Amino acid sequence: MIEVQDLTKQYAGRTAVDHISFKVEQGEIVGFLGPNGAGKSTTMRILAGYMPPTSGRAAVNGHDVFHDSMEVRRSVGYMPEMAPLYADMKVKEYLRFRAELKGLRGSDMRKRVGECMDLCAVTDVRRRLIGNLSKGYRQRVALADALLHRPPLLILDEPTNGLDPVQIRHVRELLRSLRPAHTILLSTHILQEVEVSCDRVVMIHQGRIRAIDTPTNLTRQIRAASLVHVELQGKGDITAKLEALKGVRKATQEFADGPWLCYSLRVEARYDVREALMDLATTQGWKIRELHRQLPSLEDVFVELAASAPEKT
Amino acid sequence: MRTFWVLFKKELRAFFVSPVAYIVLALVMVLSGFSFRAALSVLESAPSEGSIVTWTFHAMWFWLSYFFIFPLLTMRLFAEEKKMGTLETLFTAPVSAWQVVWAKYLAAVVVYCVLWVPSYINFRLVDWISVGQVEIPHGALKGSYLILLAMGMFNLAVGCFASALTSNQIIAAVISFTISLLHFLIGLFIMVVGRKVADTFVDVISYFASMEHIRTFTSGLIDTRPLVYYTSLALLFIALTHQVVEFRRWRP
Repeated sequence: MIEVQDLTKQYAGRTAVDHISFKVEQGEIVGFLGPNGAGKSTTMRILAGYMPPTSGRAAVNGHDVFHDSMEVRRSVGYMPEMAPLYADMKVKEYLRFRAELKGLRGSDMRKRVGECMDLCAVTDVRRRLIGNLSKGYRQRVALADALLHRPPLLILDEPTNGLDPVQIRHVRELLRSLRPAHTILLSTHILQEVEVSCDRVVMIHQGRIRAIDTPTNLTRQIRAASLVHVELQGKGDITAKLEALKGVRKATQEFADGPWLCYSLRVEARYDVREALMDLATTQGWKIRELHRQLPSLEDVFVELAASAPEKT
Repeated sequence: MRTFWVLFKKELRAFFVSPVAYIVLALVMVLSGFSFRAALSVLESAPSEGSIVTWTFHAMWFWLSYFFIFPLLTMRLFAEEKKMGTLETLFTAPVSAWQVVWAKYLAAVVVYCVLWVPSYINFRLVDWISVGQVEIPHGALKGSYLILLAMGMFNLAVGCFASALTSNQIIAAVISFTISLLHFLIGLFIMVVGRKVADTFVDVISYFASMEHIRTFTSGLIDTRPLVYYTSLALLFIALTHQVVEFRRWRP
């Protein structure tokens, strides 16, 4: 459905997307994962036919995004980031306008607009001005817009951004229900998001692809070092004893609050040292007043990846 | 063509749901009322060569309204879409840049035509009240509206172009106002310099002089040269607008 080969996009003096290649098969839900500024939106804009790549090739449904832009736009339902809409139009009016632009006519158009409003749960606000809607509603109006012309491919740029947890679940279910007929490429910077809803993940950082895999494989691979914070009172060479624990890569004393010493431990992936640390404290006669583990954020994972992992392309 | 109509309807509608069209309409109505009154008072005081049509479109009030119309009507067209990010939604639907540019431009032209309806009503009214006492040269009247349309088409195209250049409506308005004013001042140049320069120079300059064009047409003379001049300039600026929009699309 999507074929991207050596795609590069440069803005004045800055490379946003750097020689990326990937493929998306019919019927897949693929997550595009990366921190802000990684090049996700740029890639999606290129795929939606909004702008051409500087070099390289991208094809959607067999049509080249540059030479055959109109055909690409007809087969893609694109939802831009931040869901830009005309604030001075009413929801139903807007969707009808968009449906007509996308070539739907007459009773088919009216029926389809109704269906999409129902699917995205915006029917109850259909007579309200878009400018007065909340972020969650706007996001869903934009999603309804993307669905209007029954495109075989949906490209959604952060579709759950700005939604509350209930709405996020609703959108996830909606996307899954679209699956047999639609291929979906969605972007997000939330790790759980792709774990729940995607078949495959394309991880991108600083314009380059870092990994393409299923979410399960990927999370196993990328679980980077976690951080454990501990505040304790004790004697002796605490740092050395802490570092002697299995799985601890490095222990550093952050600060001291009177007799209380605060340490942070970098712990290897797949290890949880909290229990061992408690045992150690008991045998050493240390007092502990705080102990908690901080799981790596996606940002940490990417920093780690950027620093260490060899590129996979 | 269907796509064009869909876009055109939307643009036209956008003019009339925002207060801008009504404000401009009110402004033009008041000012054309003033210029009409000015024309009447000229005819009242002494016998005059020009008709009521000539004097109406020579009043200072007329030129005052003339310059404000174009920036106000066109500044929104592209600048707003750029600021809101809706240009991205628009250009990921199967529409071409030409369709968008023409739809926006022609919607502005239609609104512009509506603006001059009240001034026409003024002429009808005086005809009715004075029971034909005030002579209204109908040919000259038609000519006046023809040249107004031509000049409007040119200035609106300039406004479209200015709006496509920026995402700030104020800047768009300033650019289009400046270009329109400079163009007008070229024509005023002869009046200021008078006969101190070579005749050929004056002749060349007078091809660009809006006031000269108005004078010709309001006295009932249909000269095709200004019509061709304004239409081709309008087309040039629309082509430029298209270039800018396409360029932006390739480099947002």
